[in-house]
Amino acid sequence: MNSMSHSSPPRIATGAAVIAFVAIWSFNGHGQLSSGPVSKAMIQDTGLPAIDRGLRDQDPPRAPRGGKDAGRAAASAGDTRPYVPGSIIVKFKDDATRGGISAATSQVAGVIGDRSSWADFDILTIPADADPEAAAALMRERPDVEYAQPRYRNHAMARPNDALYANQWNFPAIDMERAWDIQPGASSNIIVAVLDSGMAFQTGTVRYNSRFSFRLTPGGPIYPALGIVNIPFAAAPELGTSGSTRFVSPRDFIWNDDLPVDLDGHGTHVAGTIGQLTNNGTGTAGMAYNVRLMPVKVIQGLWDEIFGSPFEGTDDVVARGVRYAADNGAKVINLSIGREEGGPATAVTEAIRYAIGRGCFVVVASGNTRADGNQQNRLAIPAPEIAGMVAVGAVGRTLNLAFYSTTAPYVELSAPGGDQRQGGTSAGILQQTLDPDQLETYLRPPSQYGPPRADVFAYEYFQGTSMATPHVSGFAALLMQQGITNPAAIEAAMEQFATEKGAPGRDDSFGFGLINPRATLRGLGLAR
Amino acid sequence: MSVRSAARRLTIVPAAIALLLLSPFDASAQVTPVSIQGYGMFGGISFTAAESFEAILGESSGRIFGGGVRIGLGLGGLFFDGGAWRFHATGERAFIFNNEVIGLGIPVDVKVTPIEISAGWQFRIRKLPKLIPYVAGGLTSMRYEETSDFSTPTEDGHDTFNGIHLIGGAEYKITRWLGVAGEASWTTVPDAIGEGGVSKAFSETDLGGTTIRLKITIGQ
Repeated sequence: MNSMSHSSPPRIATGAAVIAFVAIWSFNGHGQLSSGPVSKAMIQDTGLPAIDRGLRDQDPPRAPRGGKDAGRAAASAGDTRPYVPGSIIVKFKDDATRGGISAATSQVAGVIGDRSSWADFDILTIPADADPEAAAALMRERPDVEYAQPRYRNHAMARPNDALYANQWNFPAIDMERAWDIQPGASSNIIVAVLDSGMAFQTGTVRYNSRFSFRLTPGGPIYPALGIVNIPFAAAPELGTSGSTRFVSPRDFIWNDDLPVDLDGHGTHVAGTIGQLTNNGTGTAGMAYNVRLMPVKVIQGLWDEIFGSPFEGTDDVVARGVRYAADNGAKVINLSIGREEGGPATAVTEAIRYAIGRGCFVVVASGNTRADGNQQNRLAIPAPEIAGMVAVGAVGRTLNLAFYSTTAPYVELSAPGGDQRQGGTSAGILQQTLDPDQLETYLRPPSQYGPPRADVFAYEYFQGTSMATPHVSGFAALLMQQGITNPAAIEAAMEQFATEKGAPGRDDSFGFGLINPRATLRGLGLAR
Repeated sequence: MSVRSAARRLTIVPAAIALLLLSPFDASAQVTPVSIQGYGMFGGISFTAAESFEAILGESSGRIFGGGVRIGLGLGGLFFDGGAWRFHATGERAFIFNNEVIGLGIPVDVKVTPIEISAGWQFRIRKLPKLIPYVAGGLTSMRYEETSDFSTPTEDGHDTFNGIHLIGGAEYKITRWLGVAGEASWTTVPDAIGEGGVSKAFSETDLGGTTIRLKITIGQ
């Protein structure tokens, strides 16, 4: 899969010195193995109840995570390229001949692997030292090729940092209380797929193998390999009960199994804004609190990387996730993910078109780069051309554009994403998620570093277009329940009734404006 | 149609109808005593803003009922009429996408209540003394009410708009004091709707329509 792969990686029993050597060497590259002992195994599907550590509004700010320079700390120590080297994504035309395909692949010294599930494209392995962008460009010139692109890496869009409906300013800000009067939380007929870092949806224990030591930053302290570790995980109490019908068709495209455990917290937080259990006398509320949730893991968290997941959040993985969700009954797909580097995300765009054709409404984060160069989220760029797909910007508690929210021609709507520069910690979006204190042990000194726990939860304020996006996904679920099922019609309704912000009409900051669920759900009378 | 052009029709159409009726009928302007007549009526209306009414109420027509008073002035066939009727229907709020109406399941209650003040002329047919044709025209004051579930008082409400109407019909005297009448009317109430709701989406602004009414008259 990449140039730093090992055909026969060292076993744990071969000695600490050897392990340390290999580990550091490995993480100078991109700690990802293509073979060797399986690093993830479910060893128990029951466990102790989840631990709820409550509202964490006094937590100090945490290091930014989820941006383009974050979340990939281990990997970026040696490889800052926006794509996975050694392979590209290729879609051959339906009428391509075997000879034509052979000629095309030989031009880049490529070898086609077995086609992955939920993919209408192939992964072409190319020499490790070849430039994937150049190779993809060569392939695009071939008559038998529909499209070709590097396997660009995607990441979560949140800027998590540093409790409770009274603390959820975001819902009154978009008049949700009156919207829920009209449409109280949709129903279990609507499935919302959360394509993210996984979701805390099940209780059990997973055994991972942490085989390599690593540095988080170049020259920083070395964190040791942990060996075989058993990680307890649990369903987030405010999302639903482990094993219940709340969660449908879970799929992990990072580990290629059916156990999309969230080892990051991003996906669980996003899922909470969409469907947090509501009116149950505890915790926080969600937009569409009666929907069923489909956990689809397409983004690699740092722990997934430390444990050597076979895949990371590349375009092909995201595209497969989108198709999987569409084929398994999802009606709304939430993509609080993206990337700011590399070329067009053709594979993902085609998958999104496929999903919309299957009746899915697709919501993508606009990006968090405004204060950092304002690079565009490649996944969101096609949104204006695709009816049924919207790109979402973020506003803070003052309903002004959030400092981080990327401005671009593709922004179509805005929603609360939080802005902690204007209002501090509590100006973020509050939801229950994995307790970072128990999860991010790699932020401790190496002497205190240890296995994470994925069964301890807290209410955390996050900010980002990642947090704005699930508001729109939940909103779409409410509209579907109300009777607007055509994805293009959902987009049109959202845009028609949006509360105008910024310049008249659509603008690059707010799109058509701030979502207005109550007005949209209420629709039109005869003359009023 | 503007009020001005509609008003022009107000003067031309009754005159034309009267001319047509004059030939077969004896329109002698014999002196008749002052008469007063009350009536009740029911019938149906087909709204000009057909797409809007159909989108919200499921159909662009519906039943009406009302009543009024007609006073003959004793000057030939000249009479004045003051009447009112009501249309009332319940539908659901909707969203329009590419001319497709998507119902949202939120009940809407629509009431249309015009008050019509008319002046007209009734004719006598010597061979059919019990049949009295008439034409009339006048001003309409149309009250429109729309209320929905989940709406605030400012979102619901009512307005009154002005328009004009033309009426043609015939009364049959069953007895001296009791009669039945059938009539058709055309009403235009321009710029009454179209500022919001589906009427804006369909660019329909006229709250008027065409009615067919059956009347029971009491009086001379």
